[in-house]
Formats: sequence, C-alpha cells, structure tokens
Amino acid sequence: MFKRSVRKGNYAYAVTRVKAKKSKLLKEEDYDKMIQMSVPEISRYISEAGYQKEMTDLAGKYSGITLVEHATYQNMANVFNSILGASQGELADMVAAYLEKWDLWNLKVILRGKSYGVDADGIREDLVLAGKVDEESLNKLISLDSVEDVLSESSRTGMVTIPNEVIASYKETGNLGVVEDHLDKLHYQRLLDSINPYTQPTRIFLNYIRKEIDIVNLKTIMKLKHEGIYGDEVMKYYIPGGMEIDTKYAQLLANYDTIKASLGDLSRLEVFEEYIKPAMEGDDITHKGILSSMKKYQADQAKKMAHMYPLSVLPIIDFMVAKETEVRNIRVVARGVDGGLSRETIKGLVVI
Amino acid sequence: MAAAEAAGLIAVGAGLAVGLTGLGAGIAEGNVGAAAVGAITEDASLFGKAMIFMVLPETIVIFGLVISILAIFVM
Repeated sequence: MFKRSVRKGNYAYAVTRVKAKKSKLLKEEDYDKMIQMSVPEISRYISEAGYQKEMTDLAGKYSGITLVEHATYQNMANVFNSILGASQGELADMVAAYLEKWDLWNLKVILRGKSYGVDADGIREDLVLAGKVDEESLNKLISLDSVEDVLSESSRTGMVTIPNEVIASYKETGNLGVVEDHLDKLHYQRLLDSINPYTQPTRIFLNYIRKEIDIVNLKTIMKLKHEGIYGDEVMKYYIPGGMEIDTKYAQLLANYDTIKASLGDLSRLEVFEEYIKPAMEGDDITHKGILSSMKKYQADQAKKMAHMYPLSVLPIIDFMVAKETEVRNIRVVARGVDGGLSRETIKGLVVI
Repeated sequence: MAAAEAAGLIAVGAGLAVGLTGLGAGIAEGNVGAAAVGAITEDASLFGKAMIFMVLPETIVIFGLVISILAIFVM
C-alpha cells in the first residue's frame, strides 16, 4: 500500500508549494509599473519581487539587460528544479518529462556553440539548467570537440536518440536545423508517451500537451509565412500529435502563401475566435502580435485546467507555464525599454 | 450472560468509534500535513495557520471519543 502511494505522487505537498510560489508571481500592475521604468530600475524592481538571489549572484559577471536576462533564466531554472526535487512518483515522472524541453534546449545550445566554435564558457553562459540532466553531464558534452561527438555521446547516454538519416543529412548539408527539428519532435513524442491517461487529470494534461503541439505548429506555419515560405517546405517542421491540426489540415494551412489568405481555414480552430481574430483586426497585422496572443491562449488554457483538479499535476503545469510567461514578460519589458519601444507596443507584447 | 454479551458489544462499538475515526483523521492529516509542510517551506510565516488546519481533522476523533464514552458510561 505504501509503495503504491509513493509511486502515485505527493500531490498535496507539491501542489501547495507550487501554489505558494504562484502567489508571488508578478501581476498586471507590476508590468504596468515596469514599463514606465529604466533597465536599472527594472533590475531593482525584480530583485525585490523574488529574483534577489540570482541578481546578486550574477551582478559581478553581468550588468544591465544581460544581467536581467541571465538572472531571470537562472531563477526559473532554480524554481523548476525545486519543483522537480519536491515531486515524487508518477508526478515527478510527468514533471521531468515536461521539463525535458530544457534539456533539449541545452543540447541545442551546445550543438550551436560547437558548430560556431564558441568556447566552453560562452556555451555554459547560455545554458538553462531547468531540466533533469545535471550540470556535470552537460559539462561533459561541452568538453567534446565537435557536433558529431556531442551527438554520439548524447545518444550513448540515452539523453536523445538521433536516427542515422538525420545525422547523415546534417553531415551532408552542415545544417544543424535538421537535428534541432528532430529534437523538437522527439520532445513532444516522449512527452506524449510519458503521460498515462488513466485518470481524468492526466487525460486533461495529455489534451493540454496536444493543444500545445497545435500552437507550436501554428506558430511555425505563421513564422514561415511571414518569411515568405509556404507549401511542403513548412511541413518539414510539422510536429505530429496535435489535437486539432493533423497532417492534412497542416498541409492545407501551409499551402496558403500569406497569413491573411489562410484566415478562412484558420477559423475552424478553437484558438481563432478569441485570440487570433482580434490580433488580426485592422491593417496593422504584426506576426509578433499573433504569436503573443497564441502564447496568451496557451497560458489561459493552463490556467483553466489548473482549477479542475486541485490535487493533480495540472496546477503544477499551470505554474510552470505561468513562470515561463513571467520570465518572458520581464525580458520583453526590459528589451523593449532598452530598445526604446513605445509603452503601448511593449504592453501589447506582454502576456498577462 | 446476556448482560455480559451486551457489555462486550458496547465495548466493541466504543473501540470501533475511536479506531475508525482515528483512521479517518490519520488519512486526512496525512494530506493536510503534507500540504502544511509544503506551505511552511515556501513561507515560514504560515506556520500558525498551517498548524490550525493540521489539527482540524482531529476533531473527528473527538467525536468518536465522545460516542465511545457515551456508549460505555451512559448506555
């Protein structure tokens, strides 16, 4: 009986910790204040709002906007690690599977660093240690000489599995994009496989991830259209497993040459009416505005599911999404202020 | 003989009243305690509130105890 209860997960403990952390996240009025500030003032403000330790730790190494960016990522990594450390049983498995995206992010950083000849310290600076792979293993990968070595070592340790054709394609073209696309697909495939939908909360979690895949696919389609790429080229980046966007529908959307031309078919999506449509009204359609509104949809979906089953993985996922959004918002505000963007533009990019 | 049997059954009933409520309170306190420790870990100032929530399930045992006392001494 006890073994089973440990396997099941310590939901009461982990969820309460997460709820306490969530109550400390920045609110809309905090962003309103931050938009009026300069970068040093923003640094001071976020120090008082829970980022003190990371800001102090990194203050000797970085300053200004770089300090804000590194401190926020570092803080997010610390918070996610504390959640992972506080979880047990199946809960820990699900949290770890969700956080695996940061392991793959780190692997991408290392691969890109190796590809462009960045030194070890330069690569280490951009790592976000929010996943389950420890710093030592990542350092081992950083110490290797080439992209091929990193790929074979990470395959050997079971961190990722890279098919031979992907490696062959990389060797042939020298383009890391194929490996990175494979890693994105691998993450979602592993995440979907790791969720056992045997209870209602895990079913809701699975559906949330499938909706997230839809959003990732939609963002890819939009971004590529913005760059003038459409048709089969877009389908190379398609991630299978989504809820509404299957291969056929994705192909249909991909075939339109502009975002505006795809509006008719986009209207079939749940996200369209409330999120995409308002972002597309008027002549001033920025694809960044649409991407922000899709990020908001994702955050709203997480918020909605968090209240359904209080003692489940759902509030934890909601918090992780909210924390990621907060870090993104702080960076958007700091970058916007630093770049001299208007307050209205920055406000439009902040996801609340 | 019948009186002894009745007294025995009353004792069993009283035992069940305390035992089952104790079990119920234990299960409840398990969850409340875990949540309380989680809350205190994040914010130590919540200790007082968490303590109050922690002892709430124990009232169930008091109900069981009252019933068992009534069963033994009143019936």
